[in-house]
Amino acid sequence: MGRYILKRSLMLLPVLLGVSLVSFSLLHMVPGDPAELLAGEEANPEFIQALRKEYGLDQPLYIQYFHFISHVVRGDFGISIRNREPVIKLLKERFLFTLQLSFLSILIACFIGLIAGVISSTKQYSLFDNMSMVGALFGISMPIFWFGLLLMLVFSVHLRWFPAGGKGTILHLILPAIALGAASSAVIARMTRASMLEVVRQDYIRTARANGLREFIVIYKHALKNAMIPIITVFGLEFGYMLGGAVLTETVFSLPGVGRLMVEGIFQRDYPVVQGSMLLVATTFVVVNLLTDIAYAFFDPKIRYE
Amino acid sequence: MKRLFCLMLILIPSLLFLPVSSPAKVPGGTVTYAAGADPDRLDPANAESNPSEAVNRMMYENLAKFDEKLKIVPGLATKWEQSKDGMTWTFFLRKGVKFHDGTPFNAESVKVFIERMIGPEKPSRAGLYVPFVNSVEIVDDFTIKIHLKTPFAFFLNNLAHSASGIISPTALKTHGKDIARKPVGTGPFKFVEWIHGDHITLVRNDDYWGGKPNLDKIIIRTVKEDSARVMMLQSGDAQLIVRIPPEDVPRLEKDAKIKLDSTETLRALYIGINCSKKPFTDVRVRQALNYAVDKEAIVKNIYQGRALTSSGIVAPLTTGYFPIQGYPYDPEKAKKLLAEAGYPSGFKAKLWSPQGRYPKDFEMAQVVQQQLKKVGIDCTLDTMEWAAYLAATRKGPEENESELFLLGWAPSTAEARWILYPLFTTEQWVPKGNNRSFFSNKEFDELVTKFTRATNKAEMDQYLKAAQELLVKEAPSIFILVTKETIGMSKKLQGVINSPLELTYFDHQTYLEK
Repeated sequence: MGRYILKRSLMLLPVLLGVSLVSFSLLHMVPGDPAELLAGEEANPEFIQALRKEYGLDQPLYIQYFHFISHVVRGDFGISIRNREPVIKLLKERFLFTLQLSFLSILIACFIGLIAGVISSTKQYSLFDNMSMVGALFGISMPIFWFGLLLMLVFSVHLRWFPAGGKGTILHLILPAIALGAASSAVIARMTRASMLEVVRQDYIRTARANGLREFIVIYKHALKNAMIPIITVFGLEFGYMLGGAVLTETVFSLPGVGRLMVEGIFQRDYPVVQGSMLLVATTFVVVNLLTDIAYAFFDPKIRYE
Repeated sequence: MKRLFCLMLILIPSLLFLPVSSPAKVPGGTVTYAAGADPDRLDPANAESNPSEAVNRMMYENLAKFDEKLKIVPGLATKWEQSKDGMTWTFFLRKGVKFHDGTPFNAESVKVFIERMIGPEKPSRAGLYVPFVNSVEIVDDFTIKIHLKTPFAFFLNNLAHSASGIISPTALKTHGKDIARKPVGTGPFKFVEWIHGDHITLVRNDDYWGGKPNLDKIIIRTVKEDSARVMMLQSGDAQLIVRIPPEDVPRLEKDAKIKLDSTETLRALYIGINCSKKPFTDVRVRQALNYAVDKEAIVKNIYQGRALTSSGIVAPLTTGYFPIQGYPYDPEKAKKLLAEAGYPSGFKAKLWSPQGRYPKDFEMAQVVQQQLKKVGIDCTLDTMEWAAYLAATRKGPEENESELFLLGWAPSTAEARWILYPLFTTEQWVPKGNNRSFFSNKEFDELVTKFTRATNKAEMDQYLKAAQELLVKEAPSIFILVTKETIGMSKKLQGVINSPLELTYFDHQTYLEK
């Protein structure tokens, strides 16, 4: 197992190298100049020139790239062109926040998704099943932007139960977590139902029931555990996306997460910020995938990693 | 009865939660201000966006400052004198002023500020000083002389500019360029923290020379989404919001807890014309474009009246503005001029517009497209993301592909020179300057130089007026409108400054009713 984890971790290196190269090239391919953007409409050419020099933007591209990589290896991601803050500090602040939001959202998504999925599968074609599947369809198709604003309108403006955005207490996180978790809960619910429907028809479930086990134990211990593999896959993917930053949710609720940092960085052509966040998001994705694979072994002892 | 029941259903749970979310319970007057974008740098000389300038105005002060109508009034200088030849300015400084770090404010701090502006560091706003200032001389602790290279009619405007906020020389020495995130000024509010993308916190400066400020604390939040800002105001999560979209105005006007304030700004929105390309090289074509656009209809239908039609590029509140006869809506005249210029059946053209950079920019471009079609000018309308837009319109004359392009301009110095010079003089052609129209007129260039160097007001006014008249006649742009900035706030918040410079901020007299 240890060797497997090490091997997978080593594979992170080529992935990151690839991501850095692709993101760097894409960023420099689009027109737009960070120095000019910072200087604004009333730009002063001397300042633009000085800024280009300060950030090495006047160097040939391959030199800029090697410069970037050689600093990253030493843990230095450079400083933001826009506000002179070290990128590593920005990433740390933003990522910690995104982590909180993602955990809460995935918790909500799992809670709703798993319960709705299990009940739907045990009571197939019942009223609950039909309603929750329509609900899931709604959850998947609804634009998160619209749903977020709607939540805000109802719970912040009219009911005043939760604040209308911004960072702060746990109360500030509830509405965004619901908005973000809603779509994932729908995906998880559908996957749980499908996977469970397959498992509950297996012989060993019939055997468990014949042994007189309580229905609750049969479903939640024997059936659900065996149905978990595809659910975990979906879970891993959803969680990975959330950790990569939920731009729309963060924008609607004015939250300082990784997603907004990256997207605003792109609009401002703040190269160090965008490259740093790309690497962070890629790493997160790889790590979550690794954890998902390890979790398979826990739920299905037949899976062994050598 | 049913309605009452519903109301109870809503009210009872909300009462339970009220203490958690109600801002009125926060003791001592904390105001949350929701801005539309992240500030860039809190270093006045390097700040390039309105959110930064607004925050800086609360922490820093200038020798001279703008009042609400943009007249120049004393700031950190109590009075000043200009020498007869216009080459030397003497400033008498306010005594008993301290920076937030305890450093006393005196002639030395002004010297450090001026020398930074004209020195090798070249801050982004160095252009306000480098062309005009020669040297600075300390007369005594509270008197300073600034020697100019040439007489400059609008020097005080540059001193009142947001970039001219005076920084503590001690802090500047310690932090260097990093003053951008560790600001230290003399203003009524002191910097506490900046959580990027989330908020900036300022607190009262108890040692403020003008008296203890009323507000205890100011939290400036970045809320990009327009509707989210509006909801924060309605829910009481913010006491002040800026950049209210016109469509939300009627709804907010009905809210009893909210008041709106609309100020005419200095920002002209116009369609630039590439004067180096055929058929726009012909002045008759450019005039025809101006006759073909119905500004009144644009203001009425797109902006719901929250803008002013303009006959030229200089907005009425700008120092040096002269009312000038512009182009009325007259499609027949436009067609006639086009025919005279050799285009009786019109022509095809490219029209570019950003989307979301200025209020209702793309919607306005769509209307212009339709109106031009009526006189036979068939435009294809294209939009680009802002960075690409700036890059595309900034290319030199040979590779520049623009024809008609929507842009806005607001002179941050509040005077007409900072419109006429950068946008229309020959030496300011892009990529060097900001003349994206490639307009070039010798007489106009001379008039700009003359009013800039004028040493008496009558002479200056004469040249200023002539330059504006000539510009309208030559029509290097389609002049359309001047924007209004609508802000919304809690009725309890009093004394907010909504400056025509598109800056909203507080001073020591701003207060929150209990």
